[in-house]
Amino acid sequence: MNALILVGSPKGRVSASWMLGSRLAEGLRDHGVTVQYGMVHHELRSGEGTAKLLDLFDSSDLVVLAFPLYVDSLPAPLTRLLELAAERRGRTSAPGNPRLAVVVQCGFPEAHQCDTAIGICRRFAGSAGMGWAGALAMGMGGSLEGDFRRLPGGGKQILDALGKTAEALARGGDIPDEAKAVFARPLMPRWLYILTGNLGWRLKMRKNKARRPIGDRPYAQG
Amino acid sequence: MKALLLDGCREGDYLAMEAVLEMTAALAGRADDVEVVKLRELAISACTGCFGCWTRTPGECVLQDDAATVLRSYLGSDVVAYVTPVTFGGYSSQLKMMLDRCIPLLDPRFTIVGGEVHHLLRYRRYPKTVVLGTLPSPDAEAERLFASLVARNGFNFHRTFEAEVLVGVPDPPSARRCAERLLDRIGVTA
Repeated sequence: MNALILVGSPKGRVSASWMLGSRLAEGLRDHGVTVQYGMVHHELRSGEGTAKLLDLFDSSDLVVLAFPLYVDSLPAPLTRLLELAAERRGRTSAPGNPRLAVVVQCGFPEAHQCDTAIGICRRFAGSAGMGWAGALAMGMGGSLEGDFRRLPGGGKQILDALGKTAEALARGGDIPDEAKAVFARPLMPRWLYILTGNLGWRLKMRKNKARRPIGDRPYAQG
Repeated sequence: MKALLLDGCREGDYLAMEAVLEMTAALAGRADDVEVVKLRELAISACTGCFGCWTRTPGECVLQDDAATVLRSYLGSDVVAYVTPVTFGGYSSQLKMMLDRCIPLLDPRFTIVGGEVHHLLRYRRYPKTVVLGTLPSPDAEAERLFASLVARNGFNFHRTFEAEVLVGVPDPPSARRCAERLLDRIGVTA
């Protein structure tokens, strides 16, 4: 089986999407799957890169979209790739029958804020003649900073969910409901995430030597 | 009253372009000034996810392109209309490219809205917003997702965004009625 992990974060290999997608890839490889990656933002900057991604899309048995929630949906370049993939698969009578799976995370605590984005991916799969293998969604994505061991509980729940997902996808199955539930479980109490998140913005401002207040209104009228 | 229309159509999408024409006419009947922004003609880069607009230059994106001009116009408007082909239940990538660049309009700090965590508002006043989508043929699932997406976008601004979908090739009067209905729903009057 050939799998393609499409990383939809503009941050590429330093993103939370990469962290999750590459761990899923490790699990798939452990089950004999050949895995390739596509960095959507980077590749879509050139015609050559776009053509490469579309070719990989059609030659894979499994395509995994790993992305951050942007404005309740997919980041624009990933949306563009799906538009192009659906057009091409429509024109060429859908070569092959890849299945689509999704790993999405958002910066809000509630995983259900990703539901609309997942629905869009599922609708894309239907439009493009692809099978749907399901989605993992998590909130508190702001906690994912490079190392699972720094997460509460060592990130065990995320690693377990990704492991079970890899196993299921490698044998041609769907993402198990149990993995979805574990993945969506909050990493910490909501109040704590809000507290640390709000503190985190201020610390980043200090690190960046921002000269304006956090609530500045540069476009205020009059 | 000032109105802004964000045209998220691709060249040659006649169905969505018809929707733009009728929404423009509906806005012109109620606003003194209607600005139509054809997003396909602007240079707007993809959001890089750097959060510079929140932690480096609060309220302003660090990228220098046409998005800043659109954001100023957005905040200076009383009503904003997005027009887009419904794309797998979402927005066109053209429109989405601009919407991804709207996060400087919000303050990064978290607050609770309707039981969910969202961001604080940066400004005291935002325009009323409607979204008109087009679909070449009936697609109940896409319409449901579109309604959900627009509603969720409204939560981000702590308010209600209204949406309608034009299905099939509408005759201009019915497209116009649809646009007028949307403006009625957000209370935009002449």
